[in-house]
Amino acid sequence: MKDVRIWGLKRSPWVYHVAAASCNNCDIEILELLTPRYDVERFGIVLVGSPRHADALLVTGVINRKSLPRVLEVYEQTPKPCLVIGVGTCTCNNHIFRNSYNAVGPYDKYLPMSAYIPGCPPKPEAMILGVVKALSKL
Amino acid sequence: MREAEAGLRALVHEVEVYEHNPKRLYIRVPRERITDAAKYLHRERGMRLSTCTGIDTRDGLEVLYHFSEDSTGTMYTLKVLAPKDDPSIESQAPWLPAADWIEREMHELLGIDFPGHPNLVPLLTSDTDWEQGRYPLRRDYERRSEQHEE
Amino acid sequence: MSWFSGWWLAFAFIVFPGFLFSSTVGLALTWVDRLVSARVQWRKGPPAYQPFADVLKLLLKETVVPAGAARTAFLLAPIIGLAAMCVTAVLLFYVNFFPHASFVGDIIVLVYLFALPPLATIVGASASRNPLSAVGASREMTLYLGYELPFLLALVVPIVKTGGAIRLGDFVLMQQAGGPFLYSVSGVIAALIVLICIQAKLGYPPFDIAEAEQEIMSGVLIEYSGAPLAVFRITKAMMFFLMPLFLVTVFWGGLGNWWAILKFLLIVVLLVLIKNTNPRLKIDHALRFFWFILGVLGIAAVVLAFVGL
Repeated sequence: MKDVRIWGLKRSPWVYHVAAASCNNCDIEILELLTPRYDVERFGIVLVGSPRHADALLVTGVINRKSLPRVLEVYEQTPKPCLVIGVGTCTCNNHIFRNSYNAVGPYDKYLPMSAYIPGCPPKPEAMILGVVKALSKL
Repeated sequence: MREAEAGLRALVHEVEVYEHNPKRLYIRVPRERITDAAKYLHRERGMRLSTCTGIDTRDGLEVLYHFSEDSTGTMYTLKVLAPKDDPSIESQAPWLPAADWIEREMHELLGIDFPGHPNLVPLLTSDTDWEQGRYPLRRDYERRSEQHEE
Repeated sequence: MSWFSGWWLAFAFIVFPGFLFSSTVGLALTWVDRLVSARVQWRKGPPAYQPFADVLKLLLKETVVPAGAARTAFLLAPIIGLAAMCVTAVLLFYVNFFPHASFVGDIIVLVYLFALPPLATIVGASASRNPLSAVGASREMTLYLGYELPFLLALVVPIVKTGGAIRLGDFVLMQQAGGPFLYSVSGVIAALIVLICIQAKLGYPPFDIAEAEQEIMSGVLIEYSGAPLAVFRITKAMMFFLMPLFLVTVFWGGLGNWWAILKFLLIVVLLVLIKNTNPRLKIDHALRFFWFILGVLGIAAVVLAFVGL
């Protein structure tokens, strides 16, 4: 049964985009990723409007004090099993905001991350590679 | 001399005007006359408030009000200086809604007080995880000390 | 009729042409929808097993019921739509293959059955305890009031043409004898009206107002996850199969011969093309469109049908 479930999750990962205090560059690149040019629907990836429908959360941005409780709440609302994929270097380490009074550290202090996609912003091809790697680890 | 500049000098005698380039004027105004000067530029000259800037300088905390004269494309910036031990400038928010949130931001990040502001509550910093009263944009704010460690 | 005895009926509801058959064909048709949409956008599109993988994944995921939601209504609402569609499948196939045995008023039963899936989404959305789903529910209700009027007017046209018989079997028989209702002016108008109403019933653009992804975060379905969401999707897939079938039955001659499959696919492709070329309407525009444009056209079609055209 577990194999069947994993097969289903691998073939049809629905993504929900969470932008937590990002500069919006990574958000724009994610939007580009979902255009017909890169055609991620081949992999079954569909952008959904509600975290309750999501299997993968694409998080962007350096997490800050104000958005931290909200991002945690979105994670709680997503039905498990779910992947959390960090897009952009700000999610890996605070990048250029590392000395900020408001940045509270990289995501893996608070959420179980499945993959990081570094880049500022990462190219859509890099994002596809990251998502595919995260799915193959399942 | 421009009409607006002449009118302003007639209204507030103690201004110092610095012309950075023909489209950019910096006008230093004494603290107690800022409301009169801003009202003149906005109401009688029809300029719109573009934004405000708050700076921590050697001589004190400075607030700049950038008024844009859209018909000529000229920017008139009013500079007001407040000493560090008494950083308060009369609020423009009661008559100029554009200044409302900007003054809230300057209050919570720089510590400038705006008496007369209708709603001087924090705007940007976290509601759960931040003690008010620390002013991160001041030059003497220690970023890596235990003052800011979570 | 021995076909109505218990075991056969259970078989009809559950296997063929009921739940299993309709849901499989319906999900395969949603793949056709995604394929045509992809080709129209110059891209490849998902593989053929995609809708089945989607439903399988949803069925095996955690179901979260929001705190404070009306739990029973929340979990049972999807089943209302599913059950209605299973009954509809049995009814439609039965009427097509045994037209003499249909009963008086079965078209009215069918109209009510088609009203149940939107009702299920409204109940589910209202049970969700979420302001965005309340907005979605109110939009769905308004949209329903909008499209049901021209839909009913368009259905009066075949009733008039068969001389007042309110039996689907008579529609099928008359079309087998005298040619499809579509081959007449009033028939064309009525069929077009029903086509646009199908687009609205399915919640496809330009009428995907209730489930607007970008505006109200999936509106009616915002709090659904896991198995109930899978049931809603299966219901929608079944509607995508049964409603074009209904159109072919009532206006285009029924499933009498093999050409029916081509007619059916043509209608499906038309729905997908309309879906891909239109932006979303606002709810007040949609209501005005349905009542004042399609409604007037419906009245015109009924008048033409009375006159004999």
